Amino acid sequence: MDYYSGISFGAMIMIAFIAIAVFLYGMFLNIKKWSLGSTGYGLEPSNGSIGVFLKTLLAAIKEESPKKGHKQSLITTLVLDILLQRRILRRNPLRWFMHITIFVGWMALFIFSLIMFLFEVIELIGIELPLALHPEVLRDTMAVPNDVFSYILLVGIIIAIVRRLFISDVRENTIAYDSVFLAGLTIITVSGFVSDWIRIGLFVDYGIPEVASPPAAFFHVIISLLFCIAYIPYSKYMHMIAAPLVLLANKGGE
Amino acid sequence: MAKRTPSINTNNLTAVQIMEIDACTRCGECVDWCPTYDAKDKSPGLAPRDKIKRWKSFMDRSYGLRAKLFGPKPVNDDEMQEFSDDLYHCTTCGVCGTVCEVGINTVELWESIRANLVKRGNGPYGKQNMFPKLIKEYRNPYMKDQKDRLLWIPDDIKIAEKADVLYFAGCTAGFNQQVLGVCTARVMNKLNVPFMLLGEEEWCCCSALIRTGQPHIDDVPKVSAIHNVEAIEASGVKTVMFACAGCYRVATIDWPRLIGRKPRFKIVHIADILADHIKHGKIKWEKSLNNQIITYHDPCHLGRHCGVYETPRIVLENLPGARFVEMDRIRAEQRCCGAGGGVKAGIPDLAVGISSTRINDAQAVNADIMSSTCPFCRRNLGDGRDNVYGVTGTDFDLRDNPENEMQVEDMIVLVAELMGLSTKIKSQMEEE
Ligand code: HEM
Ligand code: SF4
Ligand code: SF4
Ligand code: SF4
Repeated sequence: MDYYSGISFGAMIMIAFIAIAVFLYGMFLNIKKWSLGSTGYGLEPSNGSIGVFLKTLLAAIKEESPKKGHKQSLITTLVLDILLQRRILRRNPLRWFMHITIFVGWMALFIFSLIMFLFEVIELIGIELPLALHPEVLRDTMAVPNDVFSYILLVGIIIAIVRRLFISDVRENTIAYDSVFLAGLTIITVSGFVSDWIRIGLFVDYGIPEVASPPAAFFHVIISLLFCIAYIPYSKYMHMIAAPLVLLANKGGE
Repeated sequence: MAKRTPSINTNNLTAVQIMEIDACTRCGECVDWCPTYDAKDKSPGLAPRDKIKRWKSFMDRSYGLRAKLFGPKPVNDDEMQEFSDDLYHCTTCGVCGTVCEVGINTVELWESIRANLVKRGNGPYGKQNMFPKLIKEYRNPYMKDQKDRLLWIPDDIKIAEKADVLYFAGCTAGFNQQVLGVCTARVMNKLNVPFMLLGEEEWCCCSALIRTGQPHIDDVPKVSAIHNVEAIEASGVKTVMFACAGCYRVATIDWPRLIGRKPRFKIVHIADILADHIKHGKIKWEKSLNNQIITYHDPCHLGRHCGVYETPRIVLENLPGARFVEMDRIRAEQRCCGAGGGVKAGIPDLAVGISSTRINDAQAVNADIMSSTCPFCRRNLGDGRDNVYGVTGTDFDLRDNPENEMQVEDMIVLVAELMGLSTKIKSQMEEE
């Protein structure tokens, strides 16, 4: 547990749980809000019970589109519209490249972190793991993929920032909703790099010793938990949940 | 402190639509395509993205985290009225939905929010509030007597007592632009496709009420839908044919929703029937367009809303002597003519502003004739043409186009003309 133990692993677990609780509460609020709608066009508003949203969503997904030739299987929507995001590609290849790098980078790092976390916990509660799955070994195994996807994410973020700063039309239409989200993502990505660079001793010459690594990593992990999980339902992050659901409900959209 | 109540409610929005509001990523693609925003000097409030942002802010102030913790924050009346007026500038063309990167079904969203605003007392806009009363009382928006539904039919047209096909003429072809009705009927007669009409039993499709967010007022559209569907089913026909994009859209998309089931008949557009006849070489042409350049404007309600793009093109491409060309922005990405969504009635200047841009698209490909398959496009593109060329309305005439102005005409009138059929309506025939 050395990696985190500038402050204890326990503290991190606690923050993880807080983050998840805040996330769940936000999702509850959103689903509750969505459930204030009706179950179909022109119908009276529902009773607002939380199941209404799910019921309406499932009905929309199942419903046949009245439009000629507008048929699409669930799997097509899932792969082409949600994972490959062809609707962005159709409109603008550069923006698609920006987004797919953010998407792939973020998703991969998120999943890696989840796996790491899982094995840390498994070890913590005393279950014997094969050597290859020991957190310390696993961290080394994952170091390269972690690096690769961090750079992929960084590329996307840089394009997004440049776009928002230097294209006047985009800049003028940027509101806090957009910039807070992008800024948060930037801080996380950069803090991840910095803590890693400290760990491998890149900053020793600048008077930052490797022992500063655990607090830096801790900082990165904490804000990641808060920003990448807790903040989702309250911000533009929400699109990563709502957008795929809209695409499913509308069969990939018009 | 007494808790305030939320300023807005969720009337008329479905649970999925409320989620759609939260899915918008503010990518701005829709803004680049919106015809109203473009025609109104890019007035920021008209951009689809901005409308979603404002409704989201109203929702958040009423139901978001802060509202949960500290009570809802009010939305003041001016802000709401401004939002409503902006929303009523939309023609419900739907191109914002076509290009939306997350696939939001925008047309339905605008219509649902409109209905919500009508219930609050903010909508509709201008003269649009007359529609429900008129259509309920007269069963058509032109204040005509239902008994006169068949008055447009001259003696030369044969209407079958019993047939497999029923022609749902619609109020506009029946009362207001009768040339469309007579041409459709004469073409069908000539092709030996017998058809019935509902006559007095044909009630307005209520497109205008649904598009302007007034479907709930006395349930006029629902009552009409039930009436029309039952009357058609009672007639025993297998197929209902439309020549009006507005009616076709209502029948295809809104009827099943309003009556809660699929109607037991097939819905086709006259273009489908004509294309089929052309494919089988069954149309005998008598005249030629003499090498004129013709282009096609997809009506939003037929194309983007219902997915009918191909058959009108097959017809126009095969008109004798036609040089068919495509303009910029066609099919799913078509640029709206500006008439829809109640804009022609509510904000006529805006409608002409938008249609003038569309006329420019046709000018750019040197079109001699711009054709469409919707009476509202025909009227509004005609007005746009008059605006751009500084002339006043001339009906299509193969022989007489002295100024070499672009002509705007419905596909069915061109077909009738080129099949050598009369395009004269009853009153013109009586004059002679
Ligand atoms: C799962 C399906 C997802 C879909 C369909 C989706 C869709 C979109 C779309 C359409 C945009 C607007 C892009 C543009 O400006 O052209 C966007 C923006 C953005 N998305 Fe996603 N997204 C998804 C998931 C994610 C995930 C997992 C992340 C990770 C953080 C993410 C991060 C972002 C960021 C940072 C922006 C804003 C870029 C900017 O500020 O210009 N998205 N998303
Ligand atoms: S439906 Fe058409 S007019 Fe209305 S907001 Fe969308 S693009 Fe603009
Ligand atoms: S195209 Fe869709 S996601 Fe993009 S700003 Fe418009 S409504 Fe929002
Ligand atoms: S939409 Fe159709 S039925 Fe309704 S008024 Fe127009 S033409 Fe008549």
